[in-house]
Amino acid sequence: MRHTLSAAMAVLCLLASSTAFAQEKSGNKPGFTLRPGSTRILLIRPTIKVGAQSTGGMFEPNADWTQQARDNLGAALDAAQQQLGNQVIVAQEPIGPAAATFAGYRALFSVLADSVIEYQFFPGNRLPTKKRKGAFEWTMGPGVAEIAKGTGCDYALFIFDEDQYGSTGRKFLQVFAAMAYVQVKSGEHRGYAGLVDLHSGDLVWLNADQAMGGDVRTVEGAQKRVRQLLENFPGSTPPAAQIATASGQ
Amino acid sequence: MTLRNAVSALIVPALLMCAAPASAGNTLIAKGQAVAVAKSALTILPDREWNKMGARPGRNSETWTLDGDGLNDVTFYGGIETDRTLFREVSKRVKPLPRFSATMLLTDIPALLENSYRIALATPLMTIESVAPCAFVGAKGVTFTYSFTRPNEDVRRKGEGYAAIIAGKLYMATFEAPDIYYYDRDIAGFRALVASARIGAPPQS
Repeated sequence: MRHTLSAAMAVLCLLASSTAFAQEKSGNKPGFTLRPGSTRILLIRPTIKVGAQSTGGMFEPNADWTQQARDNLGAALDAAQQQLGNQVIVAQEPIGPAAATFAGYRALFSVLADSVIEYQFFPGNRLPTKKRKGAFEWTMGPGVAEIAKGTGCDYALFIFDEDQYGSTGRKFLQVFAAMAYVQVKSGEHRGYAGLVDLHSGDLVWLNADQAMGGDVRTVEGAQKRVRQLLENFPGSTPPAAQIATASGQ
Repeated sequence: MTLRNAVSALIVPALLMCAAPASAGNTLIAKGQAVAVAKSALTILPDREWNKMGARPGRNSETWTLDGDGLNDVTFYGGIETDRTLFREVSKRVKPLPRFSATMLLTDIPALLENSYRIALATPLMTIESVAPCAFVGAKGVTFTYSFTRPNEDVRRKGEGYAAIIAGKLYMATFEAPDIYYYDRDIAGFRALVASARIGAPPQS
């Protein structure tokens, strides 16, 4: 009887926390296409947070890991720019009041991407106004053009990456919870890449995954992460190695 | 009792307590149709479509949104009684939420919301920025503005609220959104909801 009760409760727990198991998804604004070589894209410095996940599930930032991830992801992004199909300009870090505006939009992007995942990509919690066929209406507002003033870019590419590696205590909790038929996640690896139209502020493409692969503290892991983030990027061209492999088959 | 049974008995309830409220069941609020909100006599006549979130912040409250509660969040509190909290307790023994009392002054209501947010969101970055008298649901009320930042987030949010105490119960509506773009875009839509708010028989379009 108690086993039956435990199993039922476990199912309820899983249902209650099912948003955590959202699958990788990407979305496009209806009708949006980007021809290779047709535009300039401003690459905004990625937001990168790396740390540990405490037993209770709280995020504990780790400065060393974050710096390793910044270096590795930065190098991987530099290499990946060649395959994006359009000219990519790396945004210069502004100073003074412009820095606050810049930081504000970077923060807004992560909240916007969270909303897209939670209320459009995840079917169990979709908002009725976002369910309509072909609808992909998400925006940062036309004010986002401010961050690209003088660059001549038409689009901005935002990247957000947060890695929480499960602590020993969290791993123990995971094991004990499994004995009670309850699934507890140890570690979280969220990554979002989004392309924003700098004229309208509209989000025209989003690739978001709350269970990304690749350990960003290593060079190889960061390369894998960047490949996942920029998968199916509008107007992108596959790397030469992939073309060679494909033509050889 | 076997080890597995003991673990089940101890951990499952603990995990259930930690689990977020069930979030399924978001519903459409149609334009031009008056609806009773927050399980109360408070009625609203929306002038556009909204989404009603399936998850309620508390027993007598409900949230409406356009794009998700992280981008635009309207919360109605319908008839909070004396000795009740605005939200569900997050940790009743360690960090109890403040409770409404019918003896409170209208000017105490913004502080009640501020102290509730500081505990419920675990953020020290919550500030009431202005408080002024107003009319709300046909009664003498208070309007206030505030700003806050959630922990582990860098987005600054701005908010506006309207509250009145009627027959010893608290009726309140709040709106909050990121200060970049969303607050300015959607505040007029919230004020239209507040202007349509009534207690009792719903107005018809």
